Amino acid sequence: MQMWVYIVRRALLLIPIIIGVMTITFILITALPTGIRCVSYFPIPRSGDIGPTGPCPGNPSQSNCPNPWWTHCVSVLGLNTPVPVQWATYMEHSLTFNWGTVNLNSYLSQHSQYSFMAGEPVTTALAQVLPYTLELATISLLLILVVSIPLGNLSAANRNRPIDQASRVMSFSGYALAPFLLGSLLLMAFVILIGASNGWHSLTCPASPTYLEFYKSWPAQQCFPGGNYPSWISNGVATTPTGFPTVDAAYHGQWVIAADTLIRLILPAFVIAYGSIAGLLRYVRNSMLEVMNLDFVRTARAKGVPESVVINRHAGRNSLNVTITVLGLTFATFISGFPVTEDVFGLTGVGRLLALSIDIPFDYGVIFGSVLLFTYLVVAANIIVDVLYAYLDPRVRLG
Amino acid sequence: MESTGTTPAEESTTTKGRGRRPNPHVAQFLRTFYYLRRNGLAMFGLAVILILVGIALYALTTPIPTQSLAFYCATNGQPNCVPGTNICTYPQGVTAPGPNCYQTPVGGGGVSSYPSIIAPTFDLAHFTGGPLPLGSLTVDPTHTGFFNLYDGLLRGSDWSLIISLSIVLSGAAIGAIVGAVAGTFGGLIDEVLMRLVDIFLSIPAILFVIVIIAVLQVLPGFTSFDARIGLLVIGFVLVWWPFYARIVRGQVLVVREQKYVEAARACGAGKGRIIMRHILPNSIYPVFIQVSLDVGTIPLFVGTLVFLGFAVIPTTIGSGIFPEWGSITATSVGPLIGLLTTCQFGQCIVPWWQFFFPGFALFMFAISVNFLSDGLRDALDPRLRR
Repeated sequence: MQMWVYIVRRALLLIPIIIGVMTITFILITALPTGIRCVSYFPIPRSGDIGPTGPCPGNPSQSNCPNPWWTHCVSVLGLNTPVPVQWATYMEHSLTFNWGTVNLNSYLSQHSQYSFMAGEPVTTALAQVLPYTLELATISLLLILVVSIPLGNLSAANRNRPIDQASRVMSFSGYALAPFLLGSLLLMAFVILIGASNGWHSLTCPASPTYLEFYKSWPAQQCFPGGNYPSWISNGVATTPTGFPTVDAAYHGQWVIAADTLIRLILPAFVIAYGSIAGLLRYVRNSMLEVMNLDFVRTARAKGVPESVVINRHAGRNSLNVTITVLGLTFATFISGFPVTEDVFGLTGVGRLLALSIDIPFDYGVIFGSVLLFTYLVVAANIIVDVLYAYLDPRVRLG
Repeated sequence: MESTGTTPAEESTTTKGRGRRPNPHVAQFLRTFYYLRRNGLAMFGLAVILILVGIALYALTTPIPTQSLAFYCATNGQPNCVPGTNICTYPQGVTAPGPNCYQTPVGGGGVSSYPSIIAPTFDLAHFTGGPLPLGSLTVDPTHTGFFNLYDGLLRGSDWSLIISLSIVLSGAAIGAIVGAVAGTFGGLIDEVLMRLVDIFLSIPAILFVIVIIAVLQVLPGFTSFDARIGLLVIGFVLVWWPFYARIVRGQVLVVREQKYVEAARACGAGKGRIIMRHILPNSIYPVFIQVSLDVGTIPLFVGTLVFLGFAVIPTTIGSGIFPEWGSITATSVGPLIGLLTTCQFGQCIVPWWQFFFPGFALFMFAISVNFLSDGLRDALDPRLRR
């Protein structure tokens, strides 16, 4: 089988999953009262009437005329049609990225940093913050691979020695430390230890006398020379040309800001990666142990190949496909770390948007939108992992 | 006994004569425990869990004054609680209301038997820690008063255990049934159920819980404390069962090909009997391991939801704090960052014990459960024994 045939086949398997996920969200969304659904789909009318009836156009003293906003909402969402038709309408809206609007009355819209999103389509709002999350995800994924593969190889090579025990305890602690606790502790330690000594300040921020300024300088956008945002950043969100803060800064030639943004992402990325490192470490170790018992490893040793080459090249490469598979399996857990970590560090990503949209009053459009977005990220990552797996192990695509 | 190198079960069958064979379940248990005992980390985990369960039982049987969880007004440096006075955490010496100086609620109840709060200044050069703060009052993060951290932790031991056990056991029961049905019947049923499981598992768990709870809380009747706890449990169970279903199904596919299942079928046993008596008991042990893992994880997720400010999750009970470890940790650690940001370098009061003790309890519980379940996996699966 050609590689692209495999990719297409694998992508076709997506369709039932996506339909299923959207059906689940449809079932949940139909449980919501009509008023809440309408508020999360359409901007609130200027009159502020969001009930089924409102004041009559000719006679304002009467308030039992049908509200045109409500009627419009019911007809567009098909709320008076049979459930299968409603389902079809919902699917059509979902697939055409008509995910509703950011509710004007929600906590999110009233948050000073996100008020510019109020009334915007949910997909626009999500698209504005997605690059930040993707950048964070990329760095955490790199961290996961860079830490867990060498450490797993090392602890397999030193089986039952202190380094193996240490990595085992570390991997267990990864399951037992919630990201919110780890993130808060690291942030506090960092702010107290580094901030109190006043020895470290960022590349772009001046030395700050208070913790507040120090903490505020975490999202790099909030701390630029003179306190002014560069032109490519509006409302704390990088806008041109790609939306990725680091890439944008580099594009504009601001290498210091780019480096600064990158440095600030390392600690949050570590917090997100920690749980996955813990999961991956043990699988890498175990698959290494299995591979190291195989004949070709013995042959390599018998030939007199240096031990480091045996471990890194002969055994390491062959244990890689297990690593990739497990990475795909833990991706849903990995994604779960984003809301909390972005919330702790004040990063303007999709997770923070979700974290703010579940403060009362809720913003259901953003809740459903961001969960769908995260789910699609997981599904897409699983496909990439499968394709990588097929690339690394020809038996999968040929057999 | 262990010095001879044989397991207790083997010994009792080989040397104690053929007349009195031990109960096979007891023998199996002894054999498992024999392998478990050789794993130091697992024994450590078991010891910690037993201690925690003991604490939980003690907390259940001992009447803890519920008022000790209530938010008391108290004053900084004054032994007696005077409603209407100011509590200041920063800056030291300041007594006027301000950003970190708030007034105790008048009529909040005066309790004089508790010592006053002693806030250590977190100055690296000059760290003046107070006495061990368990038993002393702690700053309530919502800044309305104080509650007793020690009593909160004690009460929290059984709340955390009860919530996570009820979630995990119901999820495992549903998952085991679905997985067993899918694995045994195969064909279209298997295909449909497993696609359903795939779909459920592709939604990140914590986000799925958030969506479910956010939607269900709209329904009438989810306003009281009990109903909110029920909502929490329902949300988690709906998300957690597919994990177990997948595990059980995989195991059932192996077990149903075994000779004894075939023998039972040949004897004319019905499908229900085969599932319940032959297949499920023999495919349950991976579920057992997963259950023990998840019991430790659930409080972390509850804490995560609370930390995110998900207002549907209870953080208070009556006029006091809701004593669940994850909830206490999250409610105390969150505002600390904010508190920290408002002070000058080196002069800040960091009430670290607020999150350290509940967080440590949470961490020890989760990590012990992990140690134990890892040991159980080794002990129950002969292939993994060293």
